Amino acid sequence: MMNSLGRRGMEEKYFPHDLIIIQILPRLPVKSLLRFKCVHKSYLYGFGYDQFRDDYLVVSVSNDMTINYGVNSQLEVFSLQDNTWREIEGNFPYFSNTWTDDSPRVGLLFGGDIHWLVAKMAPGEDSSDDVILTFDLMERKLLEMPYPDDFDFVLYDNCALWVFGEFFSLWVSDHVNCSVEIWVMKEYKVHSSWTKTLDFSIEGLSTWYFYPICSTKTGDIVGTDGENVLQKYNGQGQLIEHESYSEDPLDFLVTLYTESLLLLPVDNMQV
Amino acid sequence: MAQEASSSTSSKTISLKTGDGEIFEIEASAAKQMKTVQRLIDDLGDDITIPLHNVFSKELPKIIEYYKKDITGEITKDFEAEFVKDLNDDEVKVLFLAANYLDANKLFEFLSQNIADRLESKSVEYVRKYFGVENDFTPEEESKLREERAWSFRGIKEDE
Repeated sequence: MMNSLGRRGMEEKYFPHDLIIIQILPRLPVKSLLRFKCVHKSYLYGFGYDQFRDDYLVVSVSNDMTINYGVNSQLEVFSLQDNTWREIEGNFPYFSNTWTDDSPRVGLLFGGDIHWLVAKMAPGEDSSDDVILTFDLMERKLLEMPYPDDFDFVLYDNCALWVFGEFFSLWVSDHVNCSVEIWVMKEYKVHSSWTKTLDFSIEGLSTWYFYPICSTKTGDIVGTDGENVLQKYNGQGQLIEHESYSEDPLDFLVTLYTESLLLLPVDNMQV
Repeated sequence: MAQEASSSTSSKTISLKTGDGEIFEIEASAAKQMKTVQRLIDDLGDDITIPLHNVFSKELPKIIEYYKKDITGEITKDFEAEFVKDLNDDEVKVLFLAANYLDANKLFEFLSQNIADRLESKSVEYVRKYFGVENDFTPEEESKLREERAWSFRGIKEDE
């Protein structure tokens, strides 16, 4: 049975990708499979900076969603310095295991690496495991990290990578208990340092959803209810503010931006 | 009062509450076939109405019907054919996703095959819509792919 539970309620049409690849496609005859290679490319991508080489990279992990002697995704990297795409050879049995369908395709940049939540095909090809896929921008290698040990997949209906304060983090929503949990890696890349730091109730909201977007300097969490309300919870998990941001639910995507100043070159000045 | 670990007697029923607030009864032995439900029973006790946020009153009765037959050992190919006969593709999809959520393996495997059977001769566009995926190929990439495997498109009505 698959780990991914798909998105609760809101989008009945949502079909978890790992179910497509593992449960449905293998039961199709070859003729159908070849046709369905045109269906979807299923890719993950990320953007980051390699400080060792002072280079900006775009990373893409893609597969065409059909099984041909095992799921193997293609890893390609575009380097701004080289101004070209290069494929990196290897065995990458990963595919997007979208917990939400909005943007987990875009990797999270943290600690000089790009991260995605993915499914990894088991060697027997009859099941998949959830892992955290990491692309090391300096080594230009794909690595895996397991989820925290006491992570209870069955209870969670939604999960995403996040940066909470200065920590590499996961948030999950638990539909049975109507709550959101925040897990942080107290020491980046040290598996045993995964800790559940926050577990708060989101009951009493008009929707049963809460999607964290960012955290403030004082440790508050700002997120949306999935429709049109922004909410802020404090570090003790209490709702301290909420604000409707649009008349039309479901019509907006919310994102975070950071302001920065760049000095533009003037005449004979060098950038 | 402390409860002993309950061994399910055949007369014990469990109450399940759907995401839209309706309550259905199921025999404990049938509930055992749905691992998610069984886990919730283990956590919450079997005297409490088990909440199933992700399953709704449209599909739960059908799932209960399947497992009623399962616990009496009456599931046959004929029964399964009849079970899905009047369901359209979207209804089967909803049942399939519910079976996945409930971790109801037998129904899940059966519906997987049924979906594959239904999609076998469908067009690429239909399958995209069914799985809720976008066409992320460029027009050039897509026409190249179609050309390379033109034989697999023969006999398929691409606008269905």
